[in-house]
Amino acid sequence: MSSLVSWDFRTDKVLQAIREGKRLDARAFDQYRKINIVKNISENADGSARVKIGETDVIVGVKMITSTPFPDSPDAGTLNVGVELLPIASPTFEAGPPDKESIELARVVDRGIRESKCLDFKEWSIEEGTLCWTAFVDIYALNHDGNLFDAAALASIVSLLETKMPKLEDKKIVKGEYKGKIKLSRKPLLCTFAKIANSVVADPSLPEEKAQSARFSVAVTEDDYLTAFQKGGLGSFTASEIDSAIDIALKNTKEIRKQI
Amino acid sequence: MKKIVVPGELLTAERKRPGEHVFMQNGKLYSDVIGILDDKPGDVSVIALEGRYVPRMDDVIVGVVGSEKATGFMVDLNSFTQSFVSKKDIREQLKPGYIISARVLDVNELKEAELGQIRVFYGGEIISISPVKVPRVIGKNASMLDVLKRGTNSTILVGRNGWIWAKGGNVQLLIKLVEKIEREAHLENLTVKVQDFVANANKSVKPQAFAENPALEERKAVEKLDKELKGMVLNNESDSNGS
Amino acid sequence: MAAKKKEEKTEFVNKQGKRLDGRTTDQVRPIKIQVGVVPRADGSCYLEWGQNKVIAAVYGPRECLPKHTASPYKAVVRYSYRMATFSVPDRKNPKPGRRDIEISKVSSEAFERAIFTERFPNTAIDIFVEVLDSNAGTRIAALTCAAVAVADAGIPMRDLISGVAVGKAGGKIIVDMNKFEEDAPDAVDIPMAILPNTEEIVLLQMDGLLSKKEWLEARGKAFEAIKQVYELQKQALLKKYEQPVEAAENGGVVQ
Repeated sequence: MSSLVSWDFRTDKVLQAIREGKRLDARAFDQYRKINIVKNISENADGSARVKIGETDVIVGVKMITSTPFPDSPDAGTLNVGVELLPIASPTFEAGPPDKESIELARVVDRGIRESKCLDFKEWSIEEGTLCWTAFVDIYALNHDGNLFDAAALASIVSLLETKMPKLEDKKIVKGEYKGKIKLSRKPLLCTFAKIANSVVADPSLPEEKAQSARFSVAVTEDDYLTAFQKGGLGSFTASEIDSAIDIALKNTKEIRKQI
Repeated sequence: MKKIVVPGELLTAERKRPGEHVFMQNGKLYSDVIGILDDKPGDVSVIALEGRYVPRMDDVIVGVVGSEKATGFMVDLNSFTQSFVSKKDIREQLKPGYIISARVLDVNELKEAELGQIRVFYGGEIISISPVKVPRVIGKNASMLDVLKRGTNSTILVGRNGWIWAKGGNVQLLIKLVEKIEREAHLENLTVKVQDFVANANKSVKPQAFAENPALEERKAVEKLDKELKGMVLNNESDSNGS
Repeated sequence: MAAKKKEEKTEFVNKQGKRLDGRTTDQVRPIKIQVGVVPRADGSCYLEWGQNKVIAAVYGPRECLPKHTASPYKAVVRYSYRMATFSVPDRKNPKPGRRDIEISKVSSEAFERAIFTERFPNTAIDIFVEVLDSNAGTRIAALTCAAVAVADAGIPMRDLISGVAVGKAGGKIIVDMNKFEEDAPDAVDIPMAILPNTEEIVLLQMDGLLSKKEWLEARGKAFEAIKQVYELQKQALLKKYEQPVEAAENGGVVQ
């Protein structure tokens, strides 16, 4: 309970700072925290990465698995994004089946990647109607200090860029042998904004998330396409707030992409 | 014709005092519910047409006893939460399912009611109507209640919470009448319409007197409440079947 | 097979500006709204939006159970979006999927903004929406239906919530896509809902490839379409009180 009291205390501080045109960590409203990317952190994964945005820490591992294609697209592989908000990462996370928070997070990351058409699922067909590749992208939050959305999306894209396609023999995966990396035609990244006291800030920290009335995420590609929106939180955005958030996202992702 | 407004509907941009179910946004007044607009020169309010009962001090309510706790009972009064009645405040032995009338002594900031002046009623029916339409069941100077009383021969206790306790007489007809009031609460000349409906019903079908009749002390209790509540309660004086 | 053919040469909007189902690019499918269809509920609504059919019931404010989920500051809005097993071409698993849970979450957040929740601390407002038949745009149909049901429950709210799904198919920005358009190879789907008075956005999602310019066009079209949806919601609410008395006594059947 002591932690709850201190958060409430900081919410006041966040609101006060934002009203004065400042952020508690002295960032500009459109500025990200320091981003740190480590590739290939797991030998067993077909692709993996660890991303830190400030203190927020996320790891992602990709496994390429053979499976049965969906009946409505028998000649295509598929993508499956899962999120585990480990109890390790925050005193408020609990073990157990995914709750609505982690489901939303997984689905927004999934949409950002899938809808950018960066993966050619047709190439992942092995035998029409019976066998295809599925990329299982599993996201694990290690430390929650705000903006898990962007960290998860960034780690997912970096992992997919590193993912190697396993070798097949008699429709069975040969363990440890690969035939090159999977292809990504685009690198969609997610940018999340918090609305706090009539201002909109990029990359909210945990105290800022506690103080936010609403959240808006937009996934953008390097060729300036928008591939996913998600508004969350109890408050609302005006149309012009959304528009300027999109502009900031297009600008910020250009910087972030240099680090990939 | 009375104007019906919906939630979020602009009522006026003039400077007026916002009354019930009116809120201000960017200097203009809007309705927050579906209801009848009551636009006066100085102030504007909306009479809600739907909604749950919000306890108010001094209301007389009809409730149903729920679960028993160590020191009292929970009472369902058709509101957001059940209300608590302390065993200290009641003389009768209550059991879950008993129908009671009570007065709201106090309401806390969570809109939970503190109840007092508990009276128990045995048997009879509870008829439910939207709490916002209770004034229509009573009518001006209890005129509607009078029509109901004469038309059905029932002993009736109207709770502000939208629950009406009735016993004796033609309760089935009373249910129909309450349904009619519920449906047409927003229309004019409702009392006359209900009167016609009663005349029609009593002409076509001879009212089948409800077998169950209130005991004398029960009628006396209602009678007593009636006096206290200035027409909120009706005791059917013409009831000749009483013991 | 059908998908392949579509990719080759489907023209979603012809030279006359008409879509495959005969609508213009900014025309919404026919909407029918009926208020008060579940007598047991505090508020209810049935809505048809093209082929979509949804029913919504509202209970509350009522006791919030389990107790630890209640808030001492406001009512908790619980929104449940579900699809009937027979509402889609294949049989849908009745267990709520990830999609159902996500839609329920963002929709409940939209209502948290619309409803004066702070007036009912420690209570819950339960909104249940069931999709009975579907053809693209069900989450908005559900939300639109639920907003009318909440109003019908007499729950104080800032405004109704009105929405529409705008999108892109065959390179054209179109309003209220049907399933065929939603399956276009370049389809973009943007479900959007606002409080009509203040035009604040309370629900916004998008998937697909969209440029900033296209977003601005889509947004403009959405706001126009939402105005029409709002009028229909309003009319439906008022209609409940305009019903001829005789019809009401006849069990709601107009003769």
